[in-house]
Amino acid sequence: MSKFNKNDNKYIISYAIIMTLVFGSVLAVVALALKPKQDAEVLLEKQNFILKAALGEKAMSTMSDEEITALYSETVKTVVVKADGVKVETEEASINVFKEYKKPKDVRELPVYKVYDQADSNKIKAYVFPVYGKGLWDFIWGYVAVEADLKTLGGLVLDHKGETPGLGARITEQEVQSRFIGKEIFNANGELDAPHFQKGEGNTYEGAHKVDGLSGATITAKGVNNMLDDYLAMYKSFIKAQK
Amino acid sequence: MENLINIFIKSIFIDNMIFAYFLGMCSYLAVSKKYKTAAGLGMAVIFVLGITVPLNWLAYNFLLKEGALTWISADFATVDLEVLKFIVFIAIVAAFVQLTEMVVEKFSPALYNSLGIFLPLIAVNCSILGGALFLPTRDYEFAEAVTFALGSGIGWFLAVVSLAAIREKMAYADVPKPLRGLGITFIIVGLMAFGFMSFGGFELPFKTTEQQQAEQEKSSAKVENKSAESVVNSVANYSE
Amino acid sequence: MSTETIEKTNDKVVEVKKPSEPLFSKKRRQLLSNPLDEDNPITIQVLGICSALAVTVALKPTFVMAVAVTAVLVLANVVISALRNTIPNRIRIIVQLVVVASLVAIVDQVLKAYSYDIWKELSVFIGLIITNCIVMGRLEAFALGNKPWDAFLDGLGNSFGYAWIILAIAFFRELFGSGKLFGFQVMPDGYIGNGVMMSPAGACLLLGVLIWIVRSRSGYVED
Repeated sequence: MSKFNKNDNKYIISYAIIMTLVFGSVLAVVALALKPKQDAEVLLEKQNFILKAALGEKAMSTMSDEEITALYSETVKTVVVKADGVKVETEEASINVFKEYKKPKDVRELPVYKVYDQADSNKIKAYVFPVYGKGLWDFIWGYVAVEADLKTLGGLVLDHKGETPGLGARITEQEVQSRFIGKEIFNANGELDAPHFQKGEGNTYEGAHKVDGLSGATITAKGVNNMLDDYLAMYKSFIKAQK
Repeated sequence: MENLINIFIKSIFIDNMIFAYFLGMCSYLAVSKKYKTAAGLGMAVIFVLGITVPLNWLAYNFLLKEGALTWISADFATVDLEVLKFIVFIAIVAAFVQLTEMVVEKFSPALYNSLGIFLPLIAVNCSILGGALFLPTRDYEFAEAVTFALGSGIGWFLAVVSLAAIREKMAYADVPKPLRGLGITFIIVGLMAFGFMSFGGFELPFKTTEQQQAEQEKSSAKVENKSAESVVNSVANYSE
Repeated sequence: MSTETIEKTNDKVVEVKKPSEPLFSKKRRQLLSNPLDEDNPITIQVLGICSALAVTVALKPTFVMAVAVTAVLVLANVVISALRNTIPNRIRIIVQLVVVASLVAIVDQVLKAYSYDIWKELSVFIGLIITNCIVMGRLEAFALGNKPWDAFLDGLGNSFGYAWIILAIAFFRELFGSGKLFGFQVMPDGYIGNGVMMSPAGACLLLGVLIWIVRSRSGYVED
């Protein structure tokens, strides 16, 4: 190795270039090779969340990946609407909820997942709406299932990017999410009144709009409340039109 | 502007690099024995964070992000180079640090003697790379990114200087032998972190635009409700 | 900085070694066993603290983090050690960082494809393996001056030393913080999680105590 002068500028520059090329191409190959698998994982998670929101955790917990995909393609139909309730022609698969979240509310394209009964393919079991918002540290998102009566919340699946473990991150827990089941999204006057986490934890609330809160995670809980408010308000015209 | 002040305060106290994320712990613990060195490294962190985070912001938004290359040609709208973000971020940080070291060494030997020795330590300081890695998820504007970088740097500086001050006093304490040094330092950091956690309950001086909107919507909704109520009441009165 | 001087003396010992040395000589076994206790990267050398505190809330992500760090550290050690005679001294830090960053990016992609849930959980902290001082510290102190096989063993030893400490912290944090182990309930029903254990500040206290225990066993005293 002594025939090279290792401190020569030419050597250093060519070394840097060769190294960048080698590692860059290795990385590119790995990324390309794993991309389909990653996309499949993302899609599977989405299908799983949608079905979980509509059918409940228990129905889904024993299903294999293939069964989930099969059930999804059998029972789920999609439409895409805007906040005024008008359908648009965009394909559901091409919509990224996160990218839509960054647009102003009146131009956002909002996918709706209609989950049909497996036994009776004409009967709608639930409407599932994706929601997106901000928690304490980072984005939070989820899927809200509204039952066929168009007012009862049938299920909620929540996920997050970086909420505090043990505090805000508990929104992914089954028990926390199930607190929303059976609550109602409209009040007696037909105005939107989404169920909200209350302050404090360990209380039981009367009525269809208050949900036991998360102690130590007030901001994350508020984020969930705001997210539900925002998105259900945007889906309101669609929901009203279904009645 | 108000938004920037919020981010600034938040990144110093609430999202403190050390006490909220524990980023840059290695050099934090290693140099906090003496107040003077701690202050030197703290200044270097502010400087390097303040420059590299905006640089990385540019790299991310004009090079790496999906659709970021459209300024070259519209054909690149679907190109997504995010997989390269680790390499690009760390290369920018390391290159900048070495460049600074060379420049400082050549033009200001005095500054090099006080600050220069810390620069190699900085390239591997998690807080610098951590600052860059928060960019893709937080989606800052350029001005916000600069503010965030400076705030985080100042937060780190405060944390390291206050720990060093405590440790200098600790020299007079009789700590059990195996606990000396690292052990007791961790316990101090833990207690300081508890202190900083109380900043989490801070109300920021300015409300974000989203919050303002939400409040407006709520108050207008209340007005609507009230008018609806009064209509109902008047109808009820009439029927009576 | 005391660590580096210790390492330098080690390096010299290894350099003198005859090429015919058996694959698992006493010295080489020490490369594996020393970092577990008396030369532990976390408790003695004070390296890699960030992730030790940040990811140890539960055993499962901690375990994945330990595996990821092991993979990156061992591979980076071997690669740098193989390239050690060609790396120009002036840009060696950048070279090391690029090698580590590429390996981390690969780990990131693999995790995303095969363990999507945990990838989401670890998020930023996978990227921070790059600046995990254990990796850079071992590259600087050991891999640059030693043969690939030794570097391999050194990498393995140090990552195991790192792994058992973070797993121990995670064990206590998950047990007392949420009453679970690997996600399974072990505490009796109705156990209310200890919020202090879940917060990073609690992790600091726990690590302080752990260091106390390890150091009183090994008799290591800092002045």
